[in-house]
Amino acid sequence: MAKKITLPRVAKGKNLIYLDDNSVDNILAMVMTLTQEISVLTDRLDTIENLMAKKGQINIDDINSFEPDNELQEKRSERRKILLKRVLLPIEKALDSK
Amino acid sequence: MNKQKHSMQPIPSHDEAVRQDFVTDFRAFLTDEIYPKITPYYQSKIEPDFIKEHGRKPEDKKEVQNVMLQDSAYQSWSFLQRISQQMMFTSVIDTVERTLDELIKKTKKYSELGSLELDQTIQIPRYLTAYDIHQQPGGYHTENTENDISAGVVYDISLPIYSGDAMGDENDLLAQATINFIKNNIKTVPKKILDMGCYIGNSTLPFAKAFPESEVYGIDVAAPGLRYAHARANALDASVHFSQQNAESMSFESNTFDIVTSCLFLHETSHAAIPKIINECARVLKPGGWMIHMDVYPFQRNVVEPLYDFLKDWEVINNNEDFSGALREMDLQGIFEEAGFSEETIEFTSAEASSETNKGYTGDFYLKLPVYVAQKMA
Repeated sequence: MAKKITLPRVAKGKNLIYLDDNSVDNILAMVMTLTQEISVLTDRLDTIENLMAKKGQINIDDINSFEPDNELQEKRSERRKILLKRVLLPIEKALDSK
Repeated sequence: MNKQKHSMQPIPSHDEAVRQDFVTDFRAFLTDEIYPKITPYYQSKIEPDFIKEHGRKPEDKKEVQNVMLQDSAYQSWSFLQRISQQMMFTSVIDTVERTLDELIKKTKKYSELGSLELDQTIQIPRYLTAYDIHQQPGGYHTENTENDISAGVVYDISLPIYSGDAMGDENDLLAQATINFIKNNIKTVPKKILDMGCYIGNSTLPFAKAFPESEVYGIDVAAPGLRYAHARANALDASVHFSQQNAESMSFESNTFDIVTSCLFLHETSHAAIPKIINECARVLKPGGWMIHMDVYPFQRNVVEPLYDFLKDWEVINNNEDFSGALREMDLQGIFEEAGFSEETIEFTSAEASSETNKGYTGDFYLKLPVYVAQKMA
């Protein structure tokens, strides 16, 4: 079997520090990736719920080949926005001018 | 909504697709909800603090930068914007890595139209190897396997996420603006067109479609982009001749092209490269031929607003676009004249794209784009 190709996932460039130090930056990056994974899980659950409501019985291929229509896409976008708003509330608040 | 826009693009799995969707919504949130808070925040807090200390407003973008980079509220937005770009790439790389073998096999099928000429002896310029432009891991040129196209695919499928779906199904909105400009202002029917730094050809193909009688050429230094460009052009039924060449020194004969163009290319080169590239444009153009480069926002403005200038440079500092800030300071007029372009034809103006739907995070940026235009002396 051919060797599996792996692609690079980190870009070459200056190591910039944004907040107090690298570790604080790293934690914020990790929080955002976790938020992304929560969103992925929620969308998967949403797919399953939609399929169940329509078909009653489903299999793994049904889930993997599911494509949300525009209406469902918009609903999901709206829900992601609420998730982001919750997670990023402290940052939004800090930028609110009095 | 199908993410696959043509048959050389991979189809993401369920979870990959929604992971990518999250990044689109994350970027929309940062642009629409957080970014608009920065100017009022600056005006109500940062600037008054500066005035208290110095007895005057900040004079230029450097002074604004000095205070903003110390401010954790601003830096939080900036960092989030930066990592949204990283998350965009990691979420599309999963799809490309999983499907790469199949995609490379497909390139053999999609090879009939146009041509592809690679040059293994080419040196990748330092301005592309010193750091990865746009934070794309591996940059434009890295080869991860034989006949690699991965960097090209990654670029193609991340553009809709980057732009908030503003570029159109074929990622060609910017080239459409250039074509509109040519049709409205230059009014020539070109026989031969050259696109420099064409990469995946998303801004090259529209020329082949808009001017079906012309021969269209695309050059770039990065093989993974060119291999993909050729297959992609075939998948989209367009005939373009791609070759691996450095725009600073091309193998085309002199007086060959009616139009030489580029799209967001010049700002990814260097101080030393710009005059060489412009000289090459003049050399390969026929007498009376036109050069038209679409590039970064206008650089000689009368109104100077330090905060605006600072924010406009965001990509320079935070998204590995190091040269784009410096390009604005260069005397392009002088370089164009020196190369043999008629002084009275040199123009720094804008080209407009017509977007049927109001997409994109920041519509204005994509609909009115700076172009640098000049005609070679007849």
